[in-house]
Amino acid sequence: MREVFRGPSGVPERKQNLPQLYRFCFLMLGDSRKAQDVFHATLREAAQRAARGELPTESFWLFRDARWRCLEATKSDLQPEPLEMDEHEVAAQAPSQIGRLDPMHLAIWISAAPDPQRSALALFYLDEFDYREILDLAELKLNELSRFLSNGRRQLQAWLDAKFPQTADV
Amino acid sequence: MKLVSAMRRQRSLLNCAPISARQLADRAMRSAISRADDSVEFTDQQNFDSAVARLVRLIPIPAESAEWFSEKDLVPASRWTWKKMLRNPAVLATSIAVAVIAGVFVFNFVSHLNDFPGSATARKLLGIAASARPVMLDPVNAEAGTLSDLFFMKHGLEHYDVPAQFADFATIGCRVFEDEESRRIAQIWVSEKRMQFFLFPAERDSKTGAVLRFPGWRYVRQEGWTGAVTEHSGVCFMAAIRGRDKDLESYLSKPADK
Repeated sequence: MREVFRGPSGVPERKQNLPQLYRFCFLMLGDSRKAQDVFHATLREAAQRAARGELPTESFWLFRDARWRCLEATKSDLQPEPLEMDEHEVAAQAPSQIGRLDPMHLAIWISAAPDPQRSALALFYLDEFDYREILDLAELKLNELSRFLSNGRRQLQAWLDAKFPQTADV
Repeated sequence: MKLVSAMRRQRSLLNCAPISARQLADRAMRSAISRADDSVEFTDQQNFDSAVARLVRLIPIPAESAEWFSEKDLVPASRWTWKKMLRNPAVLATSIAVAVIAGVFVFNFVSHLNDFPGSATARKLLGIAASARPVMLDPVNAEAGTLSDLFFMKHGLEHYDVPAQFADFATIGCRVFEDEESRRIAQIWVSEKRMQFFLFPAERDSKTGAVLRFPGWRYVRQEGWTGAVTEHSGVCFMAAIRGRDKDLESYLSKPADK
């Protein structure tokens, strides 16, 4: 997370992009309370490490740390059963359907996806990282990320179609 | 086969196409996007992604978490200490460089603090004294004070007089030579503590030609040698000894009108 900490010197730049870190936790967990717990735990740990002068030099380590905490937090939860989800081609009217969604609904939908698709979707739709950074953070290959995003779009489109069916023109 | 693989990679890149232009990572991605820019499928994908990203940005931040953003010291700044700062390689390198430069300045300043007209020549002559051997000089068995007549009569050197403090010392040898500026220098070797005396023209003002005088005795040091220099009648006399100022002080404190 290049904007939260300035780099190898470990001097914190504070504030910037922490909202995105919270949103990432929220998308990964689909639950505001759990997201806050992970978010606070991540930052508390970061604060302690900064005090000891042990901040990692690698980029995006806060997101990487938060991701593992999210995965850890949901390890004991009920896991979604692997099932064939409906898939629809992305439609032109999708933006208007998405516009009717509540952010909470989207977070619940993304958090229900199996990992690493969940991480891929959460990181991608934060619009914070380029694809190479996502590959690094989620430990994926390009074709895997591509497949997860492409499937994710079609599955989300199918869900949108089910949630907001198109009314036939009279 | 290569074409299929290239198309597959392009398809993969398009699926990961950034939502904002600011995430346009590399040339391969830019090229894939520019090829697909007109396709309806890609336009729908971009609109879809933008709409989802807009929705993500609407995720509210709970007040409890927002406190982290407003707190000035969200992550306590790593304690700033001199020790830590000095360990920074950049600071360390700069400090050493500054210290060396400062050292050179101080050394130059201190070494030129006691400069006087003729001090540069005197230092050069101390170098000569350090490398001189008795065989280089003509053997002379006389008191140093009597050599001024020899210098005048044999070499035409006027006022090349040895001061009274050193006039009684027995001489081992002497010579007259020219330095690189064709100034005529008289060198005398005496048995007393293997001291060497030098007589050389005093420095003159480059415009007026007037002798640049200085009162009393001045010290110069070079490579473990010390010289005590005085000027009289346009000629400088230097007593050089391997040692320090105090080795010469006892001679200089003798009354001159002995």
